[in-house]
Amino acid sequence: MNGLSYAWDFSVVWQYRDAFWNGLKLTVELASLTILLGSILGICFALLRGSRSRWLGIPITGVIELVRAVPPLVLLVWAYYCVPILSGFTMSGFFTAILALALYSSAFYAEIFRAGIQSIEKGHIEAAYSVGMTKGQIFRRITAPLAFQKIFPPLVSQCVLVVKNTSLVGYVAVADVLYIGQQISVQSFRPIEVLTAVAVMFLVLIVPLTVLAGMLESKYRKKYYG
Amino acid sequence: MTEAQPLLAIRDLHKSFGDVQVLKGVTLSVKRQQVVGFIGASGSGKSTLLRCINMLETPSSGDIFLEGQPIGFRDAGTKRVPLSQRELSLQRRQMSMVFQQFNLWPHKTALENVIEGLIVAQSMPLARARERGVRLLEKVGLGEKLDAYPSRLSGGQQQRVGIARALALDPKILLLDEPTSALDPELVADVLEVIRSLAQEGLTMIIVTHEMSFAHQVCDHIVFLDKGVVCDSGPPDHIFGATAEPRTRAFVNRYLQQTK
Repeated sequence: MNGLSYAWDFSVVWQYRDAFWNGLKLTVELASLTILLGSILGICFALLRGSRSRWLGIPITGVIELVRAVPPLVLLVWAYYCVPILSGFTMSGFFTAILALALYSSAFYAEIFRAGIQSIEKGHIEAAYSVGMTKGQIFRRITAPLAFQKIFPPLVSQCVLVVKNTSLVGYVAVADVLYIGQQISVQSFRPIEVLTAVAVMFLVLIVPLTVLAGMLESKYRKKYYG
Repeated sequence: MTEAQPLLAIRDLHKSFGDVQVLKGVTLSVKRQQVVGFIGASGSGKSTLLRCINMLETPSSGDIFLEGQPIGFRDAGTKRVPLSQRELSLQRRQMSMVFQQFNLWPHKTALENVIEGLIVAQSMPLARARERGVRLLEKVGLGEKLDAYPSRLSGGQQQRVGIARALALDPKILLLDEPTSALDPELVADVLEVIRSLAQEGLTMIIVTHEMSFAHQVCDHIVFLDKGVVCDSGPPDHIFGATAEPRTRAFVNRYLQQTK
């Protein structure tokens, strides 16, 4: 009858608070650098893919399709073990993780950016040409801001996925918050408490992000579209 | 008008989209201070012609000259070289375009829409651009709406912002592409009034329009386009009255019947 009773004990979380704190900091660093690099790569891919040159467009499309189809964990392990074997060039797990996850997310960012750019009404661009603006000026002043408004919600979702995908880096021995949690579980025999704590930490990271995004979105909607 | 050189001259202009020939050799000229109306059925090529003048479409062949300068190309010896972005920008801002769907930028206020071209393409100091923008918006009757975003403006108000934006460039010629077609009937009058006052000030304009009575009153010269060629042209009294061209008569009569 007592098979399902369980004495919860969250004191283990407090006991290892320093380790958790370090893991959390690393997760935040990983996530922010990956989001930054991934979206920069994504913009480049989106622009190059849209370019008229087939020599750029086709290989970029190929890379995007490949990277989107491969599971991120495979990409990560592959970058960590295979790239050094093939190239003789080794990097720390931290940087390998950022590169692999950024490349993975860039394929999704690229699709989001491309959809955003394509959604701009042709008339808005023609009006900009007709007042004498050049292509670069139009991108900066008209296309990019209008596209950004449209893609803001999917962009935020993608950033949330990036934050969660950082939890894979334990496989290449980078000590993020989940990796630390697993280590502590093994030592303390309290996996349920520890993993619950990890989940709460991800919630604390992500929920403010999405709440803030929702607030920003409704603010500009009200401003521009009454 | 005694000057020899027309402000705008179009010579044997052709434009195809794939296999579809839209313009099949259009030749015409516009004198300074003239108000020219382009009329014709949908698909006759009148909007395409206007868009070619502003280089929003690249003609398949033929020439457009503004004050004797070829538009879109530079003559380098015997070859024609397409203009760079910057050169094209310099040419485009000598003319300006008012669009059927207004095409105001939704993330900019009325005033920002008007001055965007000045501060970005011409690097005009903000204070000077603002001053000009405010003056033009007052001129089109929107002095109260400087900081309103387009979504808060009626269609007629948006189109008047569009006109102010085009005037801000201080163009040699204003190109209006069916400026009232997208408007509710009760909003058309305000916009036409603004265009009428511009005509009285002596601004050179080309208007693509379906407003026949307006064209009759305001234009000095009407060009009737049919199937990609100039079928008939002349002063309004010719087009709306004396012309012997049966296609013009048929087209005009159809419109006059509709408005009765």
